[in-house]
Amino acid sequence: MIDISRIVEAITISLHVSFVSTLFAFLISVFLGYLIGTNHFFLKKFFVSLLGSLTSIPPVCAGLIVYLIISRSGPLGWMEILYTPSAMIIAQFIIIFPIMTTLIVNYMESEYPQIKEELISYGASKKDTLLLLLSNQKNIYLTVILIGFGRAISEYGAAAIVGGSIDHLTRNMTSMIALETAKGNILIAIILGGFLISISLLISFSINYFNKK
Amino acid sequence: MVSFLAHNMTILRIFSFLIILFTTSLNARDYIIVQSTTSTVNTGLLDTLSQQFFLETGIEVRTIAVGTGTAIANAKKGDGDILIVHSKSDELKFIEEGFGVKRFDLMYNDFIIVGPRNDPADIGNANDLTDIMKKLSDPSYKFVSRDDNSGTHKKEISLWKNSLLQIPQDKSYIKTGSNMANAINIAGEMQAYVLTDRGTWISFRNKKYLKILYEKDKELFNPYGIIAVNPNKFSHVEYDKSMKFIDWLVKGRGKTLIDEFTLNGEQLFFTYD
Repeated sequence: MIDISRIVEAITISLHVSFVSTLFAFLISVFLGYLIGTNHFFLKKFFVSLLGSLTSIPPVCAGLIVYLIISRSGPLGWMEILYTPSAMIIAQFIIIFPIMTTLIVNYMESEYPQIKEELISYGASKKDTLLLLLSNQKNIYLTVILIGFGRAISEYGAAAIVGGSIDHLTRNMTSMIALETAKGNILIAIILGGFLISISLLISFSINYFNKK
Repeated sequence: MVSFLAHNMTILRIFSFLIILFTTSLNARDYIIVQSTTSTVNTGLLDTLSQQFFLETGIEVRTIAVGTGTAIANAKKGDGDILIVHSKSDELKFIEEGFGVKRFDLMYNDFIIVGPRNDPADIGNANDLTDIMKKLSDPSYKFVSRDDNSGTHKKEISLWKNSLLQIPQDKSYIKTGSNMANAINIAGEMQAYVLTDRGTWISFRNKKYLKILYEKDKELFNPYGIIAVNPNKFSHVEYDKSMKFIDWLVKGRGKTLIDEFTLNGEQLFFTYD
């Protein structure tokens, strides 16, 4: 009666897409966050504020923007990534990247001045400072990953628009919940919803737990 | 060289991702994209057909389920290889405008009017469609419209027009802007009447608040057409693979599968002889 394999497929697709988007967003946000947080440049305050404001871009709008770009009639249509998991990864990346980078920038800006004095007196190089910042208080990096992943996996709209919710390919948990609810298959929707809630509760719990002193 | 790589793994990873992203388009696609309606997909028909076609030919069929109007708009932007919709006038226009090569009759079923079990508008005893639409235009009875340029929505509009009625503007006419299944859901919750294709109704699982109140009228005939997007208009479309799929559906094993496709013991779609 209930097709377990479809449920497993949706969960797998969600995990795969959100994992990759979070990974890429994390790597680039640490890289950029370090550069921005430890340096001064012209209009820095403006750009950092802009980045902060991008945090609240409505996810479905991010999806729309990506859709317009990668559709055949858009500038990157020739790449043929519309209706693929790659497109979903890009859309989720755009949604989670601003908040992750902002958190890293804030972290760097508070940590860097503190250790800079210490390290210069020890004759440390720029590279040593970077390594120290990356290893210090690992909680910030875990928190940033969890926040990004949590947002990515629970988002509905962006991934559905650019992925096309194609059966067995781009139908993730959130689009499947919406679809099966509409079709009246409430049981499947509830099962998937249960998984999604569990994942997101686990993430929120971990963020709080690892940040308690 | 090695130490450069070792110290710059992150950048290397980013670059390889970008390279993969940019080079995937250089391969010929081994899949075709079908832009279709929600009724063909949500009933499970296209999934069954796609899987069988893949087993026989190795060509993957990816279907986007949107309303007829959206499917046509997407195809006009080049975001599809095949169109499967149910609005013959729009399909013919699509071909006239050079976007499609040829329209083939794929299959048909019919539309039905479902509504609250107690049938407050008493359309179960109506004489014909004109009579029914007149009753449903009364603001005391709710009617749910897809309002999304889908084939079903266009059919609904033609029913109002053919009964010489204006499309209702009052609050009892509920415009949902959604797919068929969702519209039926809303009709059930709000105890309203709604026009639906029989396929979606049969596959719909939440029937306890609604029932079929009118059916088997000539005017409720629901034909589906299939069209390959014109390769002269969009050079990237996989025309040969598309025609292979179309032939398989119209003359080959696909045709048999459509007729054999049932849900809850009922046949949903019928092919032409």
